[in-house]
Amino acid sequence: MAVEREQLEADVLIVGAGPAGLSCALHLANLIKKHNESGAKPELSAENIYVLEKGREIGAHQLSGAIMNPKALRELVPDFEKSAPLDTPVTDSAALFFTQTSSFRFPITPPPFQNKGNYVVSLSKVVRWLGGLVESAGVNIFKEFGGAELVYENGAVAGVITEDKGLDKNGKPKDNYTPGYELRAKVTVLAEGTRGSLTKKLVADKKLDNINPQSYGIGIKELWDIQPGRVEPGYVAHTLGWPVSSDMYGGGWIYGLLNNRLSIGLVLALEYADPQFDPHAAFQKWKTHPHVKKILEGGKLVRYGAKSLPYGGWYAMPRNTVDGTLIIGDSGSFLDSQRLKGIHLAMKSGMLAAETIFEALKKGDSTSKTLGSFQQRVEQSYIRDEMWKVRNFHQSFQHGMLQGFVHTAFQQITGGRGLIDPMRADAGYKHYKKSNGAKPPANTEERFKGDGKLTFDRLTDVYHSGTRHNDDQPCHLHILDPDICVTKCVEEYGNPCQYFCPAAVYEMAKESSGSLKLKINFPNCVHCKTCDIADPYQVIDWVVPEGGGGPNYEGM
Amino acid sequence: MKIIVCIKQVPAKDAPLAIAGNWIKESDIGFEMNEPDSFALEEALRLKEKHGGEVIALSMGPERVKQTIKEALAKGADRAIHIADDNFAQLDPLGAASALAAAVKNENADLILTGLQSDDQGFGQTGVLLAALLDRPHATIIMAIEAAEGKLKLKRELEAGWFQHIECPLPAVLSIQSGINKVRYATLKGIMAAKKKEIATLTADSLGAKTEPTQKVEKIYVPIKSKKTEFISGPPKEVAAKLVEKLKFEARVI
Amino acid sequence: MKILVITEQRQGKWNNTSFETLAAAQQIASAASGSVSAAVLGKSLDAFAAELASKNVAEVLQVEHDLLENYTPDGFCVALKQVVESTKPDLVLFPHTYQVRDFAPKLAAMLGKGMIGDCVAYRNEGGKLVFVRQMFQGKTAADVSFVGFGPWFASFQSGAFRADQVAASDSGAKPINKVSIDLKPEQIRTKPLDLFKEAKSAVDLTQAPLIVAIGRGIKAPENIPQAEAVAKALGAEIAASRPICDEGWLPMERQIGSSGQTVAPKLYLALGISGAIQHVVGMKGARTIVAINKDQNAPIFEIADYGVVGDIFEIMPALTEELQKAK
Repeated sequence: MAVEREQLEADVLIVGAGPAGLSCALHLANLIKKHNESGAKPELSAENIYVLEKGREIGAHQLSGAIMNPKALRELVPDFEKSAPLDTPVTDSAALFFTQTSSFRFPITPPPFQNKGNYVVSLSKVVRWLGGLVESAGVNIFKEFGGAELVYENGAVAGVITEDKGLDKNGKPKDNYTPGYELRAKVTVLAEGTRGSLTKKLVADKKLDNINPQSYGIGIKELWDIQPGRVEPGYVAHTLGWPVSSDMYGGGWIYGLLNNRLSIGLVLALEYADPQFDPHAAFQKWKTHPHVKKILEGGKLVRYGAKSLPYGGWYAMPRNTVDGTLIIGDSGSFLDSQRLKGIHLAMKSGMLAAETIFEALKKGDSTSKTLGSFQQRVEQSYIRDEMWKVRNFHQSFQHGMLQGFVHTAFQQITGGRGLIDPMRADAGYKHYKKSNGAKPPANTEERFKGDGKLTFDRLTDVYHSGTRHNDDQPCHLHILDPDICVTKCVEEYGNPCQYFCPAAVYEMAKESSGSLKLKINFPNCVHCKTCDIADPYQVIDWVVPEGGGGPNYEGM
Repeated sequence: MKIIVCIKQVPAKDAPLAIAGNWIKESDIGFEMNEPDSFALEEALRLKEKHGGEVIALSMGPERVKQTIKEALAKGADRAIHIADDNFAQLDPLGAASALAAAVKNENADLILTGLQSDDQGFGQTGVLLAALLDRPHATIIMAIEAAEGKLKLKRELEAGWFQHIECPLPAVLSIQSGINKVRYATLKGIMAAKKKEIATLTADSLGAKTEPTQKVEKIYVPIKSKKTEFISGPPKEVAAKLVEKLKFEARVI
Repeated sequence: MKILVITEQRQGKWNNTSFETLAAAQQIASAASGSVSAAVLGKSLDAFAAELASKNVAEVLQVEHDLLENYTPDGFCVALKQVVESTKPDLVLFPHTYQVRDFAPKLAAMLGKGMIGDCVAYRNEGGKLVFVRQMFQGKTAADVSFVGFGPWFASFQSGAFRADQVAASDSGAKPINKVSIDLKPEQIRTKPLDLFKEAKSAVDLTQAPLIVAIGRGIKAPENIPQAEAVAKALGAEIAASRPICDEGWLPMERQIGSSGQTVAPKLYLALGISGAIQHVVGMKGARTIVAINKDQNAPIFEIADYGVVGDIFEIMPALTEELQKAK
């Protein structure tokens, strides 16, 4: 609909207040401060930096294990050890192999699992703290506002339109209808995190794809309060094997935080063959392993969450510069796909973007002529050092763990080149094996129930994610071809959305006429983006809901 | 019209409650504007839009309360008063109202609005106590306000679907019923403007409003069901009859 | 201990919760070797006073004045302040009605005292009175006690005590004391106008004392009238768990749970509700929970006071009939 939108102008608009977006904002604010103090011209202002955050609070949508490499934070906030809310340095890094009944600790922890010098953190807490620093530096952070649409002018990105608020579930304006703003900026930074919705459109429109399509995994996490003495703070364990079968890529984690808090979870590549595989159920199953069960006994579930991760690596990184825009963080695929570490790379990408933007503001040029130096900076930094070495890592596991180990062994001794360079990969959703009617869609009553103490059904877990959405708003999960769901997909795949969504958003309900209908319980959505990624026909388009909605990942 | 709105910051509705004595552990939980107060704020903003004037947000509590105050400013309040008190949660209703009254005594506001009650402690007395302390006329559970010629015509809600109109002179104190309006969103411009709006910080001490407590919350606890579930069995008619009897004479709810 | 109960009447009719408070007062008094007086305010109160005098009270205070005919907070507070000052009770009790919420805290403040409102129970701990009220929308209970000397002021939630447990007089009509108070028109600042009834446009389940809620077990919208009949017979509001509202079978305002309303009514009757945590958090503060579900393992039974493992389609009509008989 043709809407009158209020216009606002900023120098820099950053979409997303995560580690990348906030590092960009803080670094840029610091550069501007020094610049102004030296009397240089033109005078710039940190107040002309706007950051949009769709969550209720800064950190509300942040989820990670997390083990953080502090190198980027050390550059950004040199005295971070005194002020950052880091739980504990890593004290012990274990690699465990699980069989159904036993666990075996590798006598020497393989290098990718070694974490000396890193910290066990709650990413949400760290981001929240970082947000405080950014606000103190004068930057405007707007919570409960998302980027809904890109604004183009003469082919360049000129800004972002925020989401409309106050529409009812049929899209009709309510009493408090407030149309989204047209926010124009000299430079727009897309820091939306994994599978950013604006980023997705930009990459498609401007053909920014790299030689490999992006590959994603899903991480499902629970935060527990456990009995004292079970796990020391700083203890870090990664598990391989049961229940992840050898044709799948993934594993579990156990991290000891302070005050008997434990972070546990399972990461799985979203490129499995069985369209009805249920990652949430797999995670619940993993918890029943004697090693894990013993740790959790007598404990209490505190919080639940899930998020996808982009780990296609170097060859899947989209081109990150377009006239007027830079893409950073998870949106730009800045993630070490071997160690699954992205926090420090996100932060570094944000800082390098800040340096690039600083030049652009001084010069008064935000075309790719100046912004293009971002990629140069990335290639001259440790981002490239780290990611280049593992550029073929993830692709190696396309055909199972065994092949993966062979390839990566060769890559280890050849600085990442391995047997094939560049190793190509398919998008994850192309890996599904068609079931061709052999498997009807799930009967909700037969789905995994859990025992309510150690394992939980999906809805109980979702409740613990604190996720809230105003029910009376348009559904933010757009099905571009709803017919497919009740016809082709039933036959070919058995409606995988019911299985891969960790928040029980999608349900195939049987109507009284006997036909199937897709029910979308969008208020459950935890913004993990798995559906947008893993749908076999790629007809699910995740768009940003009314700001403030989504999970509450406090402590995650 | 000069309108003061009392706004309380309360633990977020879905925050897990970790009980500690007579209050809850405040670390690691989120806080938000008390929902009933957001309706009072919205009503105040609408009155200002209609009659001109000023809306002042008034809140009490520790430093974190400033977050909620900023939200009120972002939505359109013109300035704010923060009574800083780390021990706010321990105050009895009269103690809290005394501090609030002292803070606004010299403002000579036309109207003071409060929400019906807070979603945490829920005493539901602030508005009425403020009226008593400031010696102003008051009314509660207000559904609608019409202002004309220095007087108010109010619609007040009673039980069982009854309502009443009341004429009330200004200045007055009103407690606003929840759900009477659609609360507006804070706009981007509002959020930015809020940064420049004045938040006057006072302390309860400097107000000289310390009162002796009249009541004390000894402890809070999760009510444990003292008895196990009593199952009623038999054919439907029998079950229904037994159930009604239990509800009438044992549980005494009908 | 001298207890004064302030009863409530409007337009010739009692607010029956007044008798619940009277019952509470009698119970407190009997354990504290105390006495109970009951007061009624308004105009033309002879019949009201006589009825109170038939109960077991030390005396009835008939507080009449032209300006008390219609309730105003100023009028009632000025009048009751005089009553309290002259009769010097230790404890003043009210039923927690909309009207009491409007004036009782002010009355207490005028006397420099505090009020503990909306109590669901009390305990006598070796002579010390502890009042119990709910906090966090029924998620927790709180023990509150008075500090310092009386008179103390407290109100009881409707249904916390049983009106028919009021003890009748043990010796004929108790003394009725016609109390005269000093009240001038200029002391009453608000002017009550017309009283009128209106169909409420918005549902406020949080104020409903009785709720009948339906869950997936209702299976189809055509079956909802059966549940509504139970609600009507009970005088309850109808509510639902999330899936029902998601389907559009009932409006969103009727939703109870983590994404809907949180309620703590006297009675919550759950029909065909499994009791998943996201629903339970919205209603476990209810005083009495009745659950009817065909699955004996449904988690709702863990929090129910009364449970029926059965078919709601058989129980609902039977229940409606029994409730109508009990009216």
